[in-house]
Amino acid sequence: MSRNLPDQDHLIRMQEDLKRALMKDPSEIRWSMVIDVSKCIGCHACTLGCVAENRLPPGVVYRPVMEMEIGRYPHVRRRFLPRPCVQCQNPPCVKVCPVTATYRDRQGVVVVDYNRCIGCRYCLVACPYAARTSDFGEWYTRGTPDVVGKIYGRMAAAEGYEAHPATEYGRRWPVRRSGSPIGNARKCHFCLHRLAVGMLPACVTTCIGRATFFGDKMDPESLIFSLLGSPRIFRLKEELGTKPAVYYLS
Amino acid sequence: MNTKWFNFLMTAAVLGLAAGSWGMVERLLYGLNPVAFGSYVPWGLWVACYLLFLGLSAGAFLVTIMTYLFQMKRFEKIGRLSAFTVLIALLCEVLFITIDLGRMARIYQFLLTPSFSSLMTWMFVLFNAMLILYFLKTFFLLREDLVQAAADRKRRGSGIYRILALGRVSYSTSDRLADEKRVHILSIISLPVGLLFYGTNGAFFAILMNRPIWNSALTPLLFIVAALLSGGALITFLIHSYMRDEELERILGKTILFLLVVFLLLEGFQFFVGYQSAVTAVVTSLDLVVLGPHWWTFWIVHLVVGSLIPLYLLTARRHNSTAISWACFLIVATFIAVRYNFVIPDLAVYKIEGLEQAFVHKRLDTSYVPNLNEWLVSIWIVSLGMIVFLAGTRWLPVVSSGKGGPDHG
Repeated sequence: MSRNLPDQDHLIRMQEDLKRALMKDPSEIRWSMVIDVSKCIGCHACTLGCVAENRLPPGVVYRPVMEMEIGRYPHVRRRFLPRPCVQCQNPPCVKVCPVTATYRDRQGVVVVDYNRCIGCRYCLVACPYAARTSDFGEWYTRGTPDVVGKIYGRMAAAEGYEAHPATEYGRRWPVRRSGSPIGNARKCHFCLHRLAVGMLPACVTTCIGRATFFGDKMDPESLIFSLLGSPRIFRLKEELGTKPAVYYLS
Repeated sequence: MNTKWFNFLMTAAVLGLAAGSWGMVERLLYGLNPVAFGSYVPWGLWVACYLLFLGLSAGAFLVTIMTYLFQMKRFEKIGRLSAFTVLIALLCEVLFITIDLGRMARIYQFLLTPSFSSLMTWMFVLFNAMLILYFLKTFFLLREDLVQAAADRKRRGSGIYRILALGRVSYSTSDRLADEKRVHILSIISLPVGLLFYGTNGAFFAILMNRPIWNSALTPLLFIVAALLSGGALITFLIHSYMRDEELERILGKTILFLLVVFLLLEGFQFFVGYQSAVTAVVTSLDLVVLGPHWWTFWIVHLVVGSLIPLYLLTARRHNSTAISWACFLIVATFIAVRYNFVIPDLAVYKIEGLEQAFVHKRLDTSYVPNLNEWLVSIWIVSLGMIVFLAGTRWLPVVSSGKGGPDHG
């Protein structure tokens, strides 16, 4: 086997890293993500995986993939840059929240307390990465036609799916009517509800190019730890001093 | 203000309230779903209106400070009216900012879990302090007349005056002296509170490092000047409408002229520095103001109608109180364009390259135009403010010549 090929699938390795991290005291964990932009093919599977996992309504997105066209015809190429919440260690959104509804948890993830958020959107304005979106109570199924005579109850089923929010932050949220998280700020939380049960974030498992890596950067045996030593590593808008926990490989 | 104008304005306000009710009902039933702003332009018309009323309260605030703290006799006549104006402007402000909250029923969280690292918390604290101070100040200023009206059994609505006077039917000289002292103490407190309040509102925007136009030491200064300009213009216009004091109007006219020139200079510096810095995000935001789809709000509404015409009236017709009043009216009526062009353009520029094509949805777009719902809700709040203001000036002893000074009794 070539020396360049890993002897183990990255997902298996990260799964093992995750299992090891969960054995630790939670306050000793620092979840981090590394995205290899040279591997990203812009398939948007992570975006959709995230939308499905967190049952995000229209207009709410946690992990868009940004596309840039570089060069001039005929020497043109496209570059893709997935942008989850970069989980700043010095988060501007936390400082501006007037009711302490958003804060860094023990594992370094910036979270939103949906039951405390007043929906002032100051955090959306303060985030330099535009990583927060507000839930305006939109529905995919409202206002869309249901073709009569096809599959009976299809719309009802779809509505039922949309009406039941995901177990974000490990909590069961009430049926989607007018209560939270409608009216709240929402953001990527590294799928904390999946991590709690030993599963990698949805964007990591759905990445078909194996471009997204995840783990505890305090664990010297983890894959993420070894990637952070790469000379290709960089962070978005580093000059702002926000110290993101999401790194990129150029 | 004569009865004809009063009836006209009251009818317009009632009609505005009725028309705006549709928007309010939608807002209360469906939350923020009917609005046009989204996640990339998270603040819209209502925040611009909040800033407008913030400014309108500032001019009246300054007059009350000059009257009741520095005891400047020249302003005695408008002391009560100014205190009442501050109160109404603050009420409109709080309505605009509350209606803008995604979960407004949770406003109590400011008391339960405040974060003092956030300037919004300080705005909440200072706003409430101002509201309480001006509520008390207005009450103590009006109390003597309220008690007299309550004691006059033949007077229509004496029962209401009795409620407003908290049941009192007698008012002695010692009561008057005590109330004067109270008003003076409240004015002493309201000076630092007010200055902090108006300054904090500017700093609220200035501290955001990712917003290149706002993130400037000039912003709080610009806010204070803008507030004094629009608020001063409002109070000058009100003097002309309610009590006609040509000399006072001329003095205020000169002040407004000075503030307008300073404001335009500061605005000019903002554009000069922004364009000279040649930072893409700054230039794009400034371009949006001067060349964007709403260019006319800057060039025509703000510069021509709201600045150049008032400049002409305040200089060439500076001895004519009606011209001064018209200049002030134009400044107040067009100042929403200034606030709009402050709030929206910095938000309406993608701060990360490629974001615009990443996920297409109307809530993830930077092109924002206020929709009918936002306008209706705004009309509702402004109409409500107008009704309370007009009713107050009609039936409360807010406007009474010769009264309202530090020795208001």
